[in-house]
Amino acid sequence: MELFFMTVVTGIMVGGIYALVALGWVLIYKCSGVLNLAMGELTLIGAYVTLAFYTAGIPFILAVIGTLLVGIVLGYLTERIFLDKLIGEPILAVIMVTVGLSFFFKGMVTFVWDTDTRVFTPPIFDIKPIELGFLKVSPVYLWSFIFAIVLLLVFVCFFKYTRWGLSMQATADDETAALSLGVSARFVYAAAWSIAFMSAGVGGALLGNINGINISVGYLGLLVLPAVVLGGLNSVPGAIVGGIIIGLLQNLSGTYLDQYFPGGVKEIVPFAFMAVFLLFKPYGLWGWERIERV
Amino acid sequence: MSTVWLPCGDYHQNYAEDQGWWQARFIKIKMILLLAVTFIGIPQFLPEYYVSVATMVGYTAMGALGVQLLIGFTGLITLGHAAFIAVGAYTSTLLVLQFPWPRFIVDLGVAYPISILVGGIAAGLWCVLFGLPSAKVKGFYLILTTMAAQFITVDFILTQYVSQIGGRGQAFSLPPGIIKIGPWTIDTDVKIYYLMAVLLTLMVIVLANLLRSKPGRAWVAIRDNDIAAEALGINIVRYKLLAFFVAGFFAGIAGAFWVSNTAALSPEHFPWFWSLWLVGVILIGGVGSIHGAIFGALFMVLVMEGLQWAVIPMSAYFPRMLMAFASIKDAAFGLAICAFLIYEPNGLAYRWWQAKNYFNLWPFSY
Repeated sequence: MELFFMTVVTGIMVGGIYALVALGWVLIYKCSGVLNLAMGELTLIGAYVTLAFYTAGIPFILAVIGTLLVGIVLGYLTERIFLDKLIGEPILAVIMVTVGLSFFFKGMVTFVWDTDTRVFTPPIFDIKPIELGFLKVSPVYLWSFIFAIVLLLVFVCFFKYTRWGLSMQATADDETAALSLGVSARFVYAAAWSIAFMSAGVGGALLGNINGINISVGYLGLLVLPAVVLGGLNSVPGAIVGGIIIGLLQNLSGTYLDQYFPGGVKEIVPFAFMAVFLLFKPYGLWGWERIERV
Repeated sequence: MSTVWLPCGDYHQNYAEDQGWWQARFIKIKMILLLAVTFIGIPQFLPEYYVSVATMVGYTAMGALGVQLLIGFTGLITLGHAAFIAVGAYTSTLLVLQFPWPRFIVDLGVAYPISILVGGIAAGLWCVLFGLPSAKVKGFYLILTTMAAQFITVDFILTQYVSQIGGRGQAFSLPPGIIKIGPWTIDTDVKIYYLMAVLLTLMVIVLANLLRSKPGRAWVAIRDNDIAAEALGINIVRYKLLAFFVAGFFAGIAGAFWVSNTAALSPEHFPWFWSLWLVGVILIGGVGSIHGAIFGALFMVLVMEGLQWAVIPMSAYFPRMLMAFASIKDAAFGLAICAFLIYEPNGLAYRWWQAKNYFNLWPFSY
C-alpha cells in the first residue's frame, strides 16, 4: 500500500512538470492555432541552458531566471523568423515547420552540448528523502513540483490580471474581435511563443534534475502531447489536469505493469492510453467540439 | 481534366481517352527513355556507389508513396509511417529466417517474394488498426494516433518482444545469400537496385491506376472536403481505411525490400525521425502528386549525400564536424523543411510543372 501511495505522489509531482510544459503548448495553440511538435526540443534547450548557467557558477534560482530570459528571446526570434510567415497557411505546413524546427533545435543542441548524459554538479537537491507523514518523497520531486506549481500560478495570474495576459486571452477567444479592438496579433503570437519557451525551459531544467540531461529529456517533453489531447487542445485547465494524469499514469504503469511487460512500458503507456481514449472522447476532456459546415 | 498538351487537332472524345497515360508520341518517347535510364542506364553504366545511392532514393520514394497517398491524396496526416515499414520488414525477415518452409519453396527461391507480399499485407492491416480512430477524429488528434503507432510498434513491440525471437535480443542478422528470388541471389548492389526498380515501378503503376479509378476519386473528394464527400454518397470510413490499407501495404513492401539491402535488421532502422523524414520528402517534392514523392526522395537523398561530401573535406579543418555529422544533418534537414515550406510551399513538383508549361509553348511565350 505504501508503494502505491508513493507511486501516486511521485506521479502527481512529475505530472506537475508536465502540466507546466503543457500550459506553454496550449497557449500557442489557443493564441495562434499552431500545433507545436517542437515542444520536446524546447524542454531540451531549457535544460541545457540552465545547466550551462549552473556549471558557470550561477546559483540554481538565478540560472532558472536566466533560462526564462533566454526563453523570451528565443521564443520571440522563433516566432518572428519562422512562424510569422506562415499565418494563414494550411495546418500541415505549419505542423511540419514545427517539426523542422524540432530537428533544427535538436541538431544544434547535440552539436553544442554533445549526446552524453550530463548532471547538475554539485547536485542541487538533497538525495536523502523527506518524510511527509508516512510517505517518503525525494526532495527533487518535491521541489520540482513546488517550482512548477509556483510558475503555473504566476502564469495564470499573468493571464488573469495583466493587460498583456488579457489581450492574449482575447485573441485566443476570438481573433477577429480582438484585432478590431486594437490588440496586436503579432505581439500576442510572439508572447505566446516566449511563454512556451519559458515554461518548457523550466520544465526541462526540472526534468533534468531528476534523471540527468540527455536527448531523452526531449522525449519527456513530447509527453505533453498526450497530456494536452487528454485535456482537450484548447483548455488551459485541461492541460494542467492532463499533465498530472499523464505523470500519474506513467508512474503507475512503471510500477505495476513493468513486471508483466518488461522494457519500456512506461514510455509508451501515455501514447497507447491516449490512442484508445480518443476513440471514446474524440475532443478530450474539455476541448471544444467543432461544428463544421460545408 | 487532363493536363496533357495534345498536338493541334487532337481531341479527347471520352473519359477513358482523357485518363489515358501515354497520350502523345512525345510522352511515349519520354517515358520509354525514362524506363531505359532506370533499368539500363543507371545500373549498367554508373559506378556501384552511385547505384547504391539510387537504391536509397528508391527506398525513400517507396515509403514516401504511401505517405503521399495518405497526406497528399486523402488528407490524413500521418507521422508514424516508419512503424508500418518496420512491420513489413520484420514480417518478411521472420518469414525468411524462422518459418519452416518446405524444401522445394526454398529451392525455387520464392520464399522471399512470398514474404514481401505477406509483409505488405501485415503492414496494411496494422496500418488499418491505427487508422480506425480516423473514423471519428481528424487533424491533430489523428496525428497523435499515428505517433502512438510509431512508439507502440517500434519502440515497444519490436524492440522489446519481436527482437527476442531467436534469442539474439538485438538485431536479426541476415546471412548473405538467404535473400533469393527465383534463381537469383540478391547480393550485389546492382541486383538490389533492380529489385528496387521493379518494385517501385509496380507501386507507381498500382497507385496511379488506383488514383484514376473510383477509390482515387473518392480519396481526393475526402481530402478536399470530407463532409461534402459524405453528402455525395461516399462511404468515407471505408475509403479512409482503404487508404490506410494501401499506404500500409506500400510501406510494408518498402520494408520488405529494405531487408535485402541490409546485413542486420534492427529497430534503429525505423526511428520516428524516419517517419518525419518521409513527410518532409513529400512536402519538399510536392504534396498531391506521385512524381512529387519521387522528386522529394531524389532531392533529399542527393542533398544529404552532397552534405556528406561537403563535410568530409571541411573536417580537415574542423575535426568536430565529422563527429557531429548526425547533428549537422538533423539541423540541415530541419532548416531545409522550414525554408521549403516558407519560400516554396508548392514543392518541387510545382516548379517541374512550370518548366513543362514553359517548354510546351517554347519558343512562343503565349
